[in-house]
Amino acid sequence: MATSAVPAPHGPAEQFAAGRRAAAAALAAAGSAERTVPRARDGRPLFPPGFTGSISHTGRLAAAVVSPGAEAVGVDIESALIPPRVAAFVLREGERRRLLAPAGPYTARDLFAAKEAAFKAMNCIGTLGEFLFWQIGLAQAAGALSATYRGETVPLWIGSQADLSFAVAIRR
Amino acid sequence: MSDTAVGEVRQRIRELLVEVFGGPSFVGKVPDAVSLREAGVPSTALVALLVAMEDAFGFEWDDDVRPEVLRSIDSLAGHVVALRG
Repeated sequence: MATSAVPAPHGPAEQFAAGRRAAAAALAAAGSAERTVPRARDGRPLFPPGFTGSISHTGRLAAAVVSPGAEAVGVDIESALIPPRVAAFVLREGERRRLLAPAGPYTARDLFAAKEAAFKAMNCIGTLGEFLFWQIGLAQAAGALSATYRGETVPLWIGSQADLSFAVAIRR
Repeated sequence: MSDTAVGEVRQRIRELLVEVFGGPSFVGKVPDAVSLREAGVPSTALVALLVAMEDAFGFEWDDDVRPEVLRSIDSLAGHVVALRG
């Protein structure tokens, strides 16, 4: 994983450029000679063959993850506050009851990022059709978090700081 | 539903987007038919917009809403207008 700060004025162009810088650094760390990541017509980043990756950014920070040989990777970073109504919209009752603090270990922002990361890793599965990221289910067993949608499951890793949550999903 | 009514719904959705996302100059430049995500609206703001629309227009989103309904200001307004019959 690599990160790059988004310079002022923190607009879409700066966020895009920071994302590509983070992707180039992540590709370098993964051993790729190719460091450029063009944009597909649908907006998705096109990583070099064999170096599966994903990019996310806020207005201040971009992050990229590359996992050589993975089928799909999803990363998401979130800095925005998640109001209770938004959490209730995105998280099912059971997810809120079992995973959200204080009963669980996560904040609503952590779980929002987790569903987004899982969506990025799963929405290329043709058999799933089109779906929305909050329709993915989250569950935790033996301390490991996973996301499931229509029988497809991906493992998730969440990191959290005071002002930032990040989540990574990797399908192998 | 008249074109005027559709236009009013679109305008209200734009106002709600400014409320949840800020940047009235940015929101003003987003064309009606363009994907909000591709225009740069983050997912947190998009979900906040959907919640605000429930309050503003008096309905609840179905769990199985189709993704294309949520794509743009046009598609969102079309959904509201369809609900009103």
